[in-house]
Amino acid sequence: MEIGYGQDRAERMQRERVASRWQEAYAPIKHLDPVLVLTALALAGVGLLAIYSAKVQTLSEQGLSSMFYVSRQLLGLVLGIVAMVVAAIVDYRHLRTYSAVGFVGSLVLLALVLTPLGTSAGGASRWIMVVGFQLQPSELAKIAVLIAIAAVLHERKGEPGLPTVAVCLVITAVPVGLVFLQPDLGTSIVFIWLCAVLFLVGGVQGRYLAGLGVVGLAAVVAIFRADVIKDYQFERLTSFLNASDPALAQGPAFQTRQSMIAIGSGQFGGKGLFEGTQTSLSYVPENHTDFIFTVIGEEFGFVGAVAVLGLFLVLIWRGLRIAIIAKDLFGTLLAAGVIAMLTLQVFVNVGMTIGIMPVTGIPLPFVSYGGTSLIVWFAIVGLLLNVHMRRF
Amino acid sequence: MATNDPTNNALRLTVLTVVIIGLFLALFSRLWFLQILAGDRYSLAAEENRVRTVVTEAPRGRILDAGGAELVGNRPALTISADRQQLLDGNGDPIDEDAARVLERLSQLLRLDQDEIVERLISRRYSTFRPIPIAIDVAPEIVYAVREQQELFPGVVAETLPVRTYAQGQMAAHLVGYLGEISETELEEEPFVGEYRPGEFIGRGGLEQVYEADLRGDAGDRRLEVNRSNRVVGVLQDRDPVPGGDLVTSLDLDLQQATEQILAEGIISSRQNTHTGSGRNLPSTGGSAVVLDPRDGSVLAMASFPSFDPREFVGGVSQRYWDEVTSRENEFPLLNRVIQSAHPPGSVFKTVTGATFMEAGRIGPQGTINCSPAYEVGGITFRNWNRGVDEGPMNLSTALMRSCDTYFYELAYDQWRVEQNQGDDVQEMLPIVAERFGFGRTLGIDLPSERAGVIPSRAWRQEYWLNARETYCRLAEELPPGYGRDVNADLCVSGGNWRGGDAINSAIGQGDVQTTPLQIAASYAAIANGGTLYQPQIGERVVGPDGTTLREIEPTVLDELGLDAAELGALQDGLRRVVMADRGTALGAFTRGTPFPLDRIPVAGKTGTAELKPLVPFAWFAAYAPADDPEMVVVVNVEQGGGGSQTAAPIARNIMEHYFGITDAEDAEFIEGDRILD
Repeated sequence: MEIGYGQDRAERMQRERVASRWQEAYAPIKHLDPVLVLTALALAGVGLLAIYSAKVQTLSEQGLSSMFYVSRQLLGLVLGIVAMVVAAIVDYRHLRTYSAVGFVGSLVLLALVLTPLGTSAGGASRWIMVVGFQLQPSELAKIAVLIAIAAVLHERKGEPGLPTVAVCLVITAVPVGLVFLQPDLGTSIVFIWLCAVLFLVGGVQGRYLAGLGVVGLAAVVAIFRADVIKDYQFERLTSFLNASDPALAQGPAFQTRQSMIAIGSGQFGGKGLFEGTQTSLSYVPENHTDFIFTVIGEEFGFVGAVAVLGLFLVLIWRGLRIAIIAKDLFGTLLAAGVIAMLTLQVFVNVGMTIGIMPVTGIPLPFVSYGGTSLIVWFAIVGLLLNVHMRRF
Repeated sequence: MATNDPTNNALRLTVLTVVIIGLFLALFSRLWFLQILAGDRYSLAAEENRVRTVVTEAPRGRILDAGGAELVGNRPALTISADRQQLLDGNGDPIDEDAARVLERLSQLLRLDQDEIVERLISRRYSTFRPIPIAIDVAPEIVYAVREQQELFPGVVAETLPVRTYAQGQMAAHLVGYLGEISETELEEEPFVGEYRPGEFIGRGGLEQVYEADLRGDAGDRRLEVNRSNRVVGVLQDRDPVPGGDLVTSLDLDLQQATEQILAEGIISSRQNTHTGSGRNLPSTGGSAVVLDPRDGSVLAMASFPSFDPREFVGGVSQRYWDEVTSRENEFPLLNRVIQSAHPPGSVFKTVTGATFMEAGRIGPQGTINCSPAYEVGGITFRNWNRGVDEGPMNLSTALMRSCDTYFYELAYDQWRVEQNQGDDVQEMLPIVAERFGFGRTLGIDLPSERAGVIPSRAWRQEYWLNARETYCRLAEELPPGYGRDVNADLCVSGGNWRGGDAINSAIGQGDVQTTPLQIAASYAAIANGGTLYQPQIGERVVGPDGTTLREIEPTVLDELGLDAAELGALQDGLRRVVMADRGTALGAFTRGTPFPLDRIPVAGKTGTAELKPLVPFAWFAAYAPADDPEMVVVVNVEQGGGGSQTAAPIARNIMEHYFGITDAEDAEFIEGDRILD
C-alpha cells in the first residue's frame, strides 16, 4: 500500500491526537490520591478536637482564649496544605538533584538548635525561632535524610555495595548525633529505623543487613556500658515498665500511669467529647502534644482509639500501594521511608501512652499539637502524592 | 528505571508490611486489654484520682435532764493541729530539718514531749485533708503565738474544734460517762466496723456509751474534685452533717445535784460517828444513792461517792488522772456503785425473803412466829440483832418493823428442810422469788457494766465450791490448828452442800447474797407500785436539733412480783411501820432534830446493816414516799457506814426532804438514827 503525504499527515495528526489524549490521561493532576489526602485531613481534624478538649480547662483557668492552641494548630494546618501542594507539584525526581543541599541545610539547622539561638523546654533544646514561630529542625531533617539515602540507593549500579552502605550510614549518623545532643533520644531512633527500612527495601544484601544488626546491637550494649546515656534518660526509658507502682508518684512513671488510667477509663465507648476527667483535670501532662492519644482514648474509648489507628493504617496502606506502583526505585524508597517513619512514630507515641514504650518526645503525626510536625507531615503527604501522580 | 528485581522488591516490601502489621497488632491488643478487659479498674482509678472526700464532723447530741437543762453539751475548743505529711515521713521521722525545728518549737510551746507529739501525729490516721489535733483546749496565747508567727510553724494549724462541755461540772459524772478515742481493735469489731473512722471519739462509760448510736449523728462529707496538684477545682457533692440527737433523761438536775451533795456530806459527816462494834470512828469509805420513780422505773437521781471529773477526759485523759480514778487507795472513783458494786443487802432484803416464805406456803401474811433472842440449829446459834430480848410472836409486818431476824431464821430453816426433802427435783424458792424482785440478774438499765449480784442456790454453791475447793483444802493444811483450820477442813470436804445455816444467812440478806443498790431500789419500787418490776431507765427520749422527738424510750416491765393483795399489803404495812410506828427501826432517823412531816408525807422504808467481816458493816436504807401513793423510791448505801438507821437513813431522809421541798440540800443535817438498830 502506497502511503501518501496527506494520509501520512492525517495519520500523524491522528497519532498526535491519540498521544495528546494519552498525555491528557496520564497528566499528573489526574492521578491524585484523594483517599490519602482526606485521611490525613481527618487525622488533623481529630487532632484539633482533641487539642481543644485537652486545653480548654487549663486555658480558661489561665484566662486565655480556649481557641489559643487550636487557632495556632489551624494556621499550621493551612501552611501544611500549602506545603503539601508545593511538594506535590515539583516532580520528585528533581529532588535527587537537590538532596545534598537539603541534607546539608538541615544539618545546619540542627546544629543551630544547639547554639544559643535554640530555645529549650523541659531540659531539651529542640527549636529555633523563625519569624515568631518555633521551628523544630529535627522534623525537617527526617525528610532530608530520607531523600538523601533514597537518592544514594537509587543511583547505585546493581546491588548496593559496601561503599554505598557506608555513605548511607554516614548520612544517618551525623543527624543522629546532633539530635542526640539536644537530647532527643526518640528522634535519633527514628533516623536509625529509617535507615534500616531503606536498606531493607533498597535491596541491601541480607548479609549486610545481618552484619549491621549485630553491630547495632553491640553498639547499644556499648552505649549502656559506657554511660553515654544519662541516668535520667535511662530511667525515663525504663520507668514505664513499673508504671503501675503508685509509689512512683512523679516523673515519667507518673505520666505513664495517669495516661493508662485515662485510656483505660475510657472503656469501650469513651467518656464523650470534653468529658474526660483525667484530661480536664490535667492529670496527664503534655496531653496536647506527646500525650494527645490519651485524650482520644479517654474521651472516645476503644472505638475512637481503634478508629484513629485505623486512619493511620489507611495512610500506610496508601503509602505501601504507592511504594509498589512507583515509577522508579527512588519513588519506592521515598514511599517506603515515609510509611516506616509513620509506623514508628505512631507505634512509639501510642505505645508510650498505653505503657508499652518508654516516654519519649515523639509526637503523633497529624494529631499532636505542633506546627512544624504538622507542616512536615503534610509536606510528606505531598511527596507521596507526587510519587503517586508521576508513576507512569 | 534502575535495575531492580521486582520480585525481590515485592518480597522486601512484604517483610516491611508484616512488621507494620505486627506493631499495630501490639497496639490494638494493648488497647483491648486496657479499655475492655481492665477498663473497670481504670475507671475506678480515674474516679479516685479526681475525688477527695473531706469529712465534716457532725455535732454530737447533748444530754439533757427532764426539764431540758444541759448536762453535757458541746463547746468550741482552741486546738493546735498539724499536718502530718508536712512534718513527718512514713517512718514518723521529721521529713527535713525545717520539720524537725517546727516539732521542737511545738514541743516548747505546748510543753509536750516531742515524742508525744510524734506519737499523736502517727497514731491517728486521719485523712490527709484534715490536720491532726495535737493539743486540745490550749491557752489563747498559744493560738496567737502560732497564728502570728505562722512562718515559724509551717504545717501547724490553730483551729477551733467542738469538744464535750459539762455545764454542771462534775455532776452526774458516773451517768454521762465520757468520750475516748476509738481503738484499733474496736474499729474492726461490730458495731464500729465500717461505720467509724480512725481517730473518732466514741462514748465510753455511762449514757455516752449506751446511747452512742443516737448521740453520734451522721458525719457529712464534701466530695471535692481536685486536679493533679491537689487544688480543688469543684465540689461534686456536699452532704451536710446530720447532728446527733439530744438525749432527754428522766434525771432532775436539781434533785441530782442535791442527792450528790447530800450523799457526799452525809458520808463525810458520818465519819465523825462511832462504830458501835469497835468503838472507833466509822470509815464510811464510799457509798451510793439512787432515786427512782416507782411508777415507771425512771431514774430521777443517781449518785456514787467518791466521784470524778468528766472534764478531765476531754480530748483524752492523762495517765495520772486515770490512775487516780481507778485506784483502790481512792476507793475506785470511776466505779458507779449504784450498779457496779454488789454486796450483801442485810435486812433490806427481808422483803424478798418474807415474800418467798409466803409464796412457798411456809406462812401466811398474818401468820406469826415467835421473835426469840436466838435460833439454834445443828449446834449453831443464830442470834437476833436485838440481843437477849424476846419480842414475842409477830407477823411479817411486825417482823419487818422490828427487823426480827429469828422470824426469818425459823422460816428459812423450815423451807430448807422442805427443799432438802424434794431430793433432786428441788424447787428452790428464794432464787425464783428473788428473780421476780429483780435480783440475781441485771436489770438492763441504760448504763454499761451493770452487775447481776448473787442469789445463792444449791447449784450455785456447788459450782462455787468446785472453783474454790483447792483454796479451802490448801488453807486447811497450811493454817495453824484452830477455828479457821477447822472451817476450811470442813469446806474442803463438804463445802458444796447447801446447808441450813446457808439458808438462814440468806434469809436476812447475808452470807452469799449480793445485790446492787439499783436492784434494791427496783424491788422497793415494785412493792411501792403494787407489784410491777420496771426496768430502771435514765433515757426518756431522743430529740432532734429542731425539737422533734426522734425516739421515745418506753418504760419496760420486767416482771410481776406475783403476790396477792394481802401478801403485798403485809410487806407495805411492815415497811410503813418501820418509819411510822413507835418501835420502827427508822423512826429515830426521821424524828430526831427537826422531825420529818410524816403526818403529811408518810414514808415506808427498811433499814439494813450488812455484815462483811472483817469490815465495818455496810449501812443500807431503802424507802419510798408518800407511803400511800408512792412517787419516789430512794435507796442509800454507805460502805463501812455502820448501822442502816445510823448512817444511811439520815442521808435518805435528807434526800426526801429535798425532794418534797421541806429543806434544801444546803440545810441538810445528818443526825444519827439509832446506832445499833438493824
